[in-house]
Amino acid sequence: MTAIRLENLVKRFGGFTALKSMDLSIGDGEFMALLGPSGCGKSTTMNMIAGMEEPSEGRILFGDRDMAGVAMGRRGVGFVFQNYAIFTHMTVRQNLDYGLRMARSPKAEIARRTAAIADLLQLGDLLDRPASGLSVNILQRVAIGRSAMMEPAIFLLDEPLSNVDAAFRAVMRTELKHIQREFRQTMVYVTHDQLEAMTMADRIAVMDHGVLQQVGTPLEVYNNPANVFVARFIGAPGMNLLAGVPVEGAEGLRIDLGALGRSAVLDAPLAAAARRAKGGVQFGFRPEQVDLVAAGAGLGMTVGFVERIGARTIVHLERDGITAKAVFDNDTRVLVGDLVHLAPHPGALRLFDAATGAALREV
Amino acid sequence: MTSAEISKDMPARPAAREADEGARLGLRLTLPAQLLVLFISVFPLLMQLYISLTDWSPLSGLGWPRAYELWNGFANYVDVAGDGRLWSALGRTALVMVVCVPVEFLLGLALATLFADSFPGKRVFYSILIMPMMVVPAVAGYMFYMLFQSGGPVNDILSSLLGMPVTVAWLSDPMLAMLAVMVADIWQWTPLMFLILLAGLVGVPEDQMKAATLLGASPWQKFRTIVLPRMKTIIIIALAIRVIECFKIFDTLFIMTGGGPGVATETISVYIYKITTQDLIWGYVAAIALVILLVLSVACVWAIKRMARKERAA
Repeated sequence: MTAIRLENLVKRFGGFTALKSMDLSIGDGEFMALLGPSGCGKSTTMNMIAGMEEPSEGRILFGDRDMAGVAMGRRGVGFVFQNYAIFTHMTVRQNLDYGLRMARSPKAEIARRTAAIADLLQLGDLLDRPASGLSVNILQRVAIGRSAMMEPAIFLLDEPLSNVDAAFRAVMRTELKHIQREFRQTMVYVTHDQLEAMTMADRIAVMDHGVLQQVGTPLEVYNNPANVFVARFIGAPGMNLLAGVPVEGAEGLRIDLGALGRSAVLDAPLAAAARRAKGGVQFGFRPEQVDLVAAGAGLGMTVGFVERIGARTIVHLERDGITAKAVFDNDTRVLVGDLVHLAPHPGALRLFDAATGAALREV
Repeated sequence: MTSAEISKDMPARPAAREADEGARLGLRLTLPAQLLVLFISVFPLLMQLYISLTDWSPLSGLGWPRAYELWNGFANYVDVAGDGRLWSALGRTALVMVVCVPVEFLLGLALATLFADSFPGKRVFYSILIMPMMVVPAVAGYMFYMLFQSGGPVNDILSSLLGMPVTVAWLSDPMLAMLAVMVADIWQWTPLMFLILLAGLVGVPEDQMKAATLLGASPWQKFRTIVLPRMKTIIIIALAIRVIECFKIFDTLFIMTGGGPGVATETISVYIYKITTQDLIWGYVAAIALVILLVLSVACVWAIKRMARKERAA
């Protein structure tokens, strides 16, 4: 087990900067998810940790050891590829003990470790089967087992569930989390799927355009996004962000939302945060954290489209070019064309500086 | 019967009759092509068999259909068994094969490994490398004929390298002539080996190579455990192509040495060419060709069976 520290990491490919600057500490035994849309630099970061790419600037430390110039075969890193990269011309056993065979470990030791790993990953009955033509969940276990055989201090997983169908993903998420608990290794997990990051990771590092946006536990990232990007990216659907201007009144501070009218009076800490904004703000609230209220209160918007997805109903709202979404229970009676009035839960309001996109936090 | 009619009453028919119908339609559709194949491969084979049992020659004054008038049973085949020149030509052909194919394979593999990675100027080198393959073999023959003259560039280069005058008569020395012929063959056909092997090498999944690296495999171990097994089929194909081609080696060699000095570089093709065009004993030539065909077929079947068995065992 080893902690990982990334210091001022930069990666350029010719004129293109894939990673602008990255500082991140990953704790010993922690499950860290690197989450972001494609092209955000998450895979580049992972490849540099594995040693497949050399950083253009900055340092990578495993514990106190600088990894610069350490070949990828010698870093003690287990890597699970997106397509698992199973050696399909070998049997499951030959895949599992590949690393140890190449290192010319004693036969007895290889047999002992293979048996232990096969037992842990329930591969015992499959050991002598050819690795080609196995199902995806078995391939994943073989890929993990093959790396685990080397007893790596760090496990890197590159979107291992992206080739799996949706129903199976839920099963594999649970299985992966279970495996991580068994191994108790530092795991770095690259994904663009927030559900995977949310359900498995101890902490999530959200990235966009080569820049680390926020690091935090899944709930921190969900509840208190550091900026507009994270607010929109996390959550399905993402946070509603409405352009507004803080307006002082007799009762306190409200946000003027243009055509939607004015928000309710903000509570004192949030009002203090809003006053720090130089110009306009983005008025944010989760679609899940709204109530329908009677006319005269809340924000009046027209129902444009209703998505019923089983457990919940997603309502798309519109007014004078301003759009928002709201999520209700499945039996909520709303029809396209209705004028509804939304009231975000008071504790759920988040404000962002319109100019910088950064969250305006209560101090 | 048109297809519309067939499809109309198809459901009423039993499956067996339907399949029968399909097979007959298929036969009728492919009949012209089958006749053509029959004409260009089976017919000459039968003609060859027929002539090989006679003393027929184009100088005999008889058309080949009347060759039965010169029937001599299996006398030609008895002669083939005792033809020392034939068997030594076969031996020389085998020698060319045994030397050239492995050298071409190893060179091709080394070059392919080199070209699988990128390096500056790769495209230019690539074009230069495959150029020999595009040279007409006869032209290549003349090139090497001139290169290996006693006053030619090969001796010049050797002279300047060794710092003393070298005037080896390459093509007049039985051993050196063979060497020169092999050099020419290797020069011309290594590029083909290189191309085929490069295609195979590029097909090795990069992820698997990276995975092996991360598991601590050395470059040689990766080559042995990932690259070679994955390229097995393509290697067999490349080797098969070259073995067959080597067996037929003719044009370059014939222009360089004409099979000489004496019979020092006379291969099967050169020998058959000579007795066909100079001795004109076509009945005998037909017998030789059939024997070689038989020997090669047996060798091929044996090799394929062996490979298939190994494949199953692996």
